[in-house]
Amino acid sequence: MSNYLSISDILVSNEKVPCKFLHDLPKMGFLDPSAADDDLKAGTNVEIPLWLAESLQSRRPPLVSVDLPKIYKDAYREILNADACTVDMHKLGQYFYELGCYVAKHDIKGEVAATLENTFKQRFRMLLSASVSTDTLSTMQPLSASERKRAAAAASSENALSAWLQRGDCPLTTANMVANHRKRKRAEMEMF
Amino acid sequence: MFAEKVIELLKEAERNPDTIDPFNDEKIRQILEEMHLLFKMNMNDANATNENKSLWTTVQVRHSALERNKRCLLAYLYDRMKKIKTLRWEFGSVLPPDVRELLSDEEYQWFSKYSTNLASYMRSLGQDIGYSGIDLTENLKPPKSLYIEVLCMADHGKLELEDGDVITLKRNSRHFLPTAECQTLIRQGVLKQIV
Repeated sequence: MSNYLSISDILVSNEKVPCKFLHDLPKMGFLDPSAADDDLKAGTNVEIPLWLAESLQSRRPPLVSVDLPKIYKDAYREILNADACTVDMHKLGQYFYELGCYVAKHDIKGEVAATLENTFKQRFRMLLSASVSTDTLSTMQPLSASERKRAAAAASSENALSAWLQRGDCPLTTANMVANHRKRKRAEMEMF
Repeated sequence: MFAEKVIELLKEAERNPDTIDPFNDEKIRQILEEMHLLFKMNMNDANATNENKSLWTTVQVRHSALERNKRCLLAYLYDRMKKIKTLRWEFGSVLPPDVRELLSDEEYQWFSKYSTNLASYMRSLGQDIGYSGIDLTENLKPPKSLYIEVLCMADHGKLELEDGDVITLKRNSRHFLPTAECQTLIRQGVLKQIV
């Protein structure tokens, strides 16, 4: 299994996907919030976390069939293909690309993969401008989690480059974790 | 729903990627309890599958949840281990007490062992050509000059230099020191280079 110890991958696989149960599940009624029964009947549609869906689908015979989350369906796909930059990824799907990679294999028509690629192409310019912008709050807002990481990385390497070009000199600095530990301690002190 | 506590734990770690949080043994205890409960229920139902065949599906769901909990706990510990490794490189071999108390006992043991391993490796470097080791935690950036001007950020006490001089590092005092002797203190945030 790839990324077994990666925290961000774990958070991605915590996103919910709609699933249809193919078998009866005794005592598992609580998975479906609208069910009054103790048992979960075959044929129920429930949203369960991706990790559960993946592992139940890989059983022999599979216990569930996985459906696409609504953001990867036709209606949203049309919006994304028309103009991906208008979509607020932070609200709609924080892990849009990562989750898309997982659910793409459950898409029979194979259109999810193309949408992901197309969306990134369209949003790339937005990502670039977010990384050089001084108004970080409004430009970073609509970005998804991984896009934010990219933009922050781009901004910090941009800063490093311009510092190096101006001076050609790198002063010794406090180690990153030491500095952050200090900052945090000071913030905690001020709270009390 | 399964494995929700463990997600809270990981989100906490994700929020502060640059600092280490106190070891959350209370939450870990709760998660282990959840896992024990799942395991016990699974044992009961697995024994009962002889009479009731449909129970095997339930057993599989719980088993997935158990595996998920295990994965998340391991990821939490692994993430902390990477941070503790960084602590050794940035704070040095002796941790300040306020950092020390963020680690669990086992983690502190690991830190000491890592520290010893690293030290003996650094001592062994270059022995075949007559050097008595090299400190890898020094000179992480290429040194530009032999002496640098530094400003003292905290009361650190006395510092004996290699030539025998003893200087007192007091807050807001300025010094002109050999780079080699003050860069560790700069990394620990006691001194700051003035450019």
